[in-house]
Amino acid sequence: MPARRWLRFSTTGLAQAWPWLLLLTALAVLRLSKGALLSDAYALLSRPFWPGTAQSEWLRSARRFEDRARIAALESENARLRGLVGLQQATPARITAPVIARDPAGWWQTLLLGRGALQGVREGSAVLAPGGLIGLVSSVTPTTARVTLLTDPSSRVGVWVARTRYHGLLTGLGTDRPVIRFLEKDPGVVAGDVITTSPASTLVPPDLPVGVIQSVDLRADPAPEAVLQLAARAASTDWVQVVVR
Amino acid sequence: MASVLLVPCLTLAAPGFLRLAGVGPAWAVLWLLPWALVDGPVSGMVAGAAAGLLLDALHPAGVSQWPALLLLGFWWGRMGRRGPPIERSFSLGLLAMLGSLLLDLSLMLQWLLASLQVRADGLISPGGIDAFRLAQPGWQAADLAQAGLHVLLARVLLTGLLAPVLCSLQLVFWRQLCGGSLRR
Repeated sequence: MPARRWLRFSTTGLAQAWPWLLLLTALAVLRLSKGALLSDAYALLSRPFWPGTAQSEWLRSARRFEDRARIAALESENARLRGLVGLQQATPARITAPVIARDPAGWWQTLLLGRGALQGVREGSAVLAPGGLIGLVSSVTPTTARVTLLTDPSSRVGVWVARTRYHGLLTGLGTDRPVIRFLEKDPGVVAGDVITTSPASTLVPPDLPVGVIQSVDLRADPAPEAVLQLAARAASTDWVQVVVR
Repeated sequence: MASVLLVPCLTLAAPGFLRLAGVGPAWAVLWLLPWALVDGPVSGMVAGAAAGLLLDALHPAGVSQWPALLLLGFWWGRMGRRGPPIERSFSLGLLAMLGSLLLDLSLMLQWLLASLQVRADGLISPGGIDAFRLAQPGWQAADLAQAGLHVLLARVLLTGLLAPVLCSLQLVFWRQLCGGSLRR
């Protein structure tokens, strides 16, 4: 009879212990799934207490502060190094000038500025708008200055591709998008490359952003050329900065 | 005659809504047409040359607008004296369109001649990329055929559209000012 008693005991034991066995099985599943349900439940419950956007704002402002400090440090170091090498200074004085008449399309693509020779503007001064270079001063009167835009067919400015260090000539065509004509047969540029003024230029201050390459035509005649999307929009700019040397 | 000063003022300060794809109308043509029609060929020539010289002063050197405007002034002056008086809006619009077309064609011709001159000079160095030729500023033949054509069409269209309104008003004004001394 002991076997029958054991059987009775075990069946009654199982009947009493099944909730515990179920719990153990559930815990084993939890363990094997590396806490999937537990973490998800915790995330769901704690969602109202998650860090808000304020923290990302703090991070972003801290990042901006850091960037500004780094730019200032790099600019001063760049100026010191350029001084040592004897190159033109990257940060000369700038005059803010209002645009008093504009002709962004047509036979002459020009702007007329409300500052002239009396304020120190000279022929050939570089003119900047938010975004980068938009043109060079082509003539000055005592109180006005005429800017020939980069899109004007008479505009020729030396630029370079900072990534590959190839020089080219930025040439206006009378349309919104000027082209760069390279002096090498294979300039190795691709769409998306950023164009800045040449660091070796004597006409314009070095390393001013000009635009982004949109498309490249290596088989163009007489030189490989790339279409440029200008970074600054002259048609909608009311105030510009004239670089005074 | 002092009203000729309006031409450079309007060229400089034309509002954005009077532009087509950024190109403004030929204000010199819009001012010269009624003036020459009322005042005769000699006065038209002088006025055309004056407006042309004023506009040339506003633009970088190289090409000039006064020869075309002088010829237009003479043509329209003769037309006003010889034929029946021109008053219909359609005729004014057509004449202004023709005038703007001739003015712009004269500019294109000057740039084309200048670029051909450079091209002939630039052929001296064969082989490789001719940096001298690349650096030549100004409208080249290919630019004139593309962007230049757009500018020309926009200017001709806009001038032709504005002429019926503006030139009619000016015609009435000049004729009243002349006190009917000119034959109608």
